[in-house]
Amino acid sequence: MRSPVRRRSALPAIFAVAVVASLVFGPSAPAGPEITTAGTVIFVHDQEPPSLRGGWIDNNLLATGLLTNNIWHGGQIYDSRARLQPRLFEGKPRLVRTRPQTVSFRYKAAAVWSDGRPVTCEDLRATWRVFVNPQFNVVSREGWKDVRSVTCNGKSGTVVFTRPFAAWESLVSSGVYAAHVIRGKNMNQMFNDSIPVSSGPWRFQNWQKGVQITLVKNPRYRVGPPMKLDRVVFRYILDTNARFQALKAREGHVMEPQPQLQIAEFLNDNDFRVQRSPEYAYEHIDIQLGARGHPALRLPHVRQALITGIDRRQISQALFRTIAPGLPTLESLVFKTFERGLYKPNFSRWRFNSARAISLLRSKGCTGGPATPTDGNDDIYSCPGVGRLVFRFFTTTGNQLRTLAFEVIEQQLKRVGIGLIPRFQTAGQLFGGTLPSSDWDLMMFTYAGGPDSKITSNTLYSCGGDQNYGNYCNRRSTAAFNAATRELDPKKRNALLNRGDVQLAVDIPSIPLFVRPKWVISVRGLSGPVLNTTSEGTPWNVGTWQLR
Amino acid sequence: MLSYAVRRLLYSVVVLVAASFLVFTFVSLSGDPLGQLNLVPNLSEQSRQNVIDAKHLDDPIPVRYAYWAKDAVTNQFGTTLLGDRPILPDLWRVMKNTLQLVLIAELLAVLIAVVIGVYSARHQYSPFDYAATTFSFLGLATPAFWLALILQVLVVQVREATGHQIFPIASLSSVDHEGGLDFVLDRAHHLVLPVIVLTVASVAGYARYMRASMLEVINSDYVRTARAKGLPERTVTMKHAFRNALIPLVTLVALSFGNLLGGAIVVETIFSLDGMGLYFYNALLANDPYRVMAWLMVTATMIIVFNLVADLVYGYLDPRVRYD
Repeated sequence: MRSPVRRRSALPAIFAVAVVASLVFGPSAPAGPEITTAGTVIFVHDQEPPSLRGGWIDNNLLATGLLTNNIWHGGQIYDSRARLQPRLFEGKPRLVRTRPQTVSFRYKAAAVWSDGRPVTCEDLRATWRVFVNPQFNVVSREGWKDVRSVTCNGKSGTVVFTRPFAAWESLVSSGVYAAHVIRGKNMNQMFNDSIPVSSGPWRFQNWQKGVQITLVKNPRYRVGPPMKLDRVVFRYILDTNARFQALKAREGHVMEPQPQLQIAEFLNDNDFRVQRSPEYAYEHIDIQLGARGHPALRLPHVRQALITGIDRRQISQALFRTIAPGLPTLESLVFKTFERGLYKPNFSRWRFNSARAISLLRSKGCTGGPATPTDGNDDIYSCPGVGRLVFRFFTTTGNQLRTLAFEVIEQQLKRVGIGLIPRFQTAGQLFGGTLPSSDWDLMMFTYAGGPDSKITSNTLYSCGGDQNYGNYCNRRSTAAFNAATRELDPKKRNALLNRGDVQLAVDIPSIPLFVRPKWVISVRGLSGPVLNTTSEGTPWNVGTWQLR
Repeated sequence: MLSYAVRRLLYSVVVLVAASFLVFTFVSLSGDPLGQLNLVPNLSEQSRQNVIDAKHLDDPIPVRYAYWAKDAVTNQFGTTLLGDRPILPDLWRVMKNTLQLVLIAELLAVLIAVVIGVYSARHQYSPFDYAATTFSFLGLATPAFWLALILQVLVVQVREATGHQIFPIASLSSVDHEGGLDFVLDRAHHLVLPVIVLTVASVAGYARYMRASMLEVINSDYVRTARAKGLPERTVTMKHAFRNALIPLVTLVALSFGNLLGGAIVVETIFSLDGMGLYFYNALLANDPYRVMAWLMVTATMIIVFNLVADLVYGYLDPRVRYD
């Protein structure tokens, strides 16, 4: 006779065995034993790359670049002052001719791949061919598609362009693939899970998906400071609070946090070192001038009232008082505050002045709003022919600082009789759908970028620019920005960009708010990390890092 | 019972197909699948067109669904929207991780809840009973995300005060670990906090069920008869009352287990556990309907299977129930 009691009491034991077996023998168990080594730095990050093939349509993450910049090493790299410094190149590449634009370069004799093969011009030529191959799903062919030919002679090479390309130096200095590894391969499938070689200070070791990526010292790296550390391990922790807690718990040594209020806890903690610097990313409010936006925004005096009604200095103070005090207001849409000699505060003519905002509206016949700036005001101005000045304000959801910024802006504009309707969306929805649809009135977000981003300001602000979702169009600024992309003389180019920026300050298609600060938090026992605000990221000088 | 099970499975296939079509449609309509690409300045038009061609994005949704269904059946759920990476290996990996977490949490929850429920019922209105009731309500009212965050903060505070870290606060494993037993222990160490969070809520609910069920059975006629026959109280409780009181709880656990296998999204996100919940969350953020669909099919299948298991177990435990 069967015994149901014995059969039921066996079930927990069966469960327990199943769990242990899955842990020990299942694919979730590691392939082999991990070797414990000294000199391991753990870099805590939030975004695990989907693959190791950066610059592809499925993987345009800065997080990937943090890993691969030191694998696909560049002829030059950006240092912490955003200056290009030779690494694999013997010296700076030279612009030998302007018509046609011709650039020459030479790789160092000591530049070799981790498998012993030398880094040569053939690697750059192979990389160029990857980026212009229409079958390969790269994110951008910008610059590469303007290359007519790459002529090689061992370590030396010459690049000829079909038409002037202003950002040529960073293009030819970028990281290159190993020609002998990628020859004949389908690049859409390469480097999904591993990279077999490296020309940089570290090489890929292994990837425990969902947990960490391990990089070890490349012993053949001789062109720059070799790594003193044995390993750098990138640990991926999605939750913001958990990342900060992980650092405090010493489950990590260094991280580049997003602007979060939790940074304040580390500022006065002697166990940690916090570095801060403004970066190339900047926060701004775009204004919709197209048919799908509020018609009032096409009136200059309304845009002028908006910018003078917003106390931009107060916003940066409110957001960053504790974690980045003294953050300056950004007064340019092209240059950044720290670009000495280039930055001109063209937008400073629109200083905060609530009374002026009101008088601008009233002078054009707008009615219904307060006569003077009034706290707690609920009256909204209406302007002839365009209706009430109530605008849909879009930004990303789930971001404490953006929520606070919106509240400050809303309060400031209400004082002068302008209303806002909040529209918080996920980043995917906002940038993937709403922004390109142009069906919005005001949108606050960050433009990321680098030292050369300003060269392509035409995509944002020229008539019909690829990224001109605000539908701004002015012939003068368009001519200036378009010319800048082809001007090889830096002085003339910057003058053209500034001319365009001056026009932007007149037309106000967008309101610059502040340059985003960037932070690096590291434990005191780790020496070496120096904040780098370019896409090189903090590991740019990993060769100097040491753990005490 | 076998014919009943077969019929249920056949009905389930129809349900699954209908659900898959509806979800595919809604996910595809909820956003632009190329939305992530639209963010990219200077995006190559050729690259964009390659994706459109590969995934038939310019075809109507029913046609795209047909391509997806073909891939799902013949090509292990196919590849991701962008990047063409196979879906099944990642899904299999995260499913295993979630299985570990959920199995341990449910096992622990059932064991603790049964003990609490039985003891509470046997000692109704005692201080223990009141305490257990209070704990249950607290557990049911406590949000999982709050408990998870508090536990992390507590562990860090203990570390800062004593220099000793009692539990890791994130991830599935340490940077370094050997295989075999060392890996098992390391994994178990990392799962302590997430298991506590999942268990608290489950214990609270299960304990209440067990208590109510025991009370109902304890006062029934056959239990009174067993006592009247002179059987020891322990035998009356464990052999007669407990076995019958367990039936509703077993059914509930089977149903919960199927749901939990979809992934405890909040717990996995906060503790950065590479599981089904986090997989689903990342797939939604990426607007990738193919990954979402794969997750859905696996989760729906688990729920259907465990619903069926719950019914069959119920029928097995209670001979009065007959399935035709």
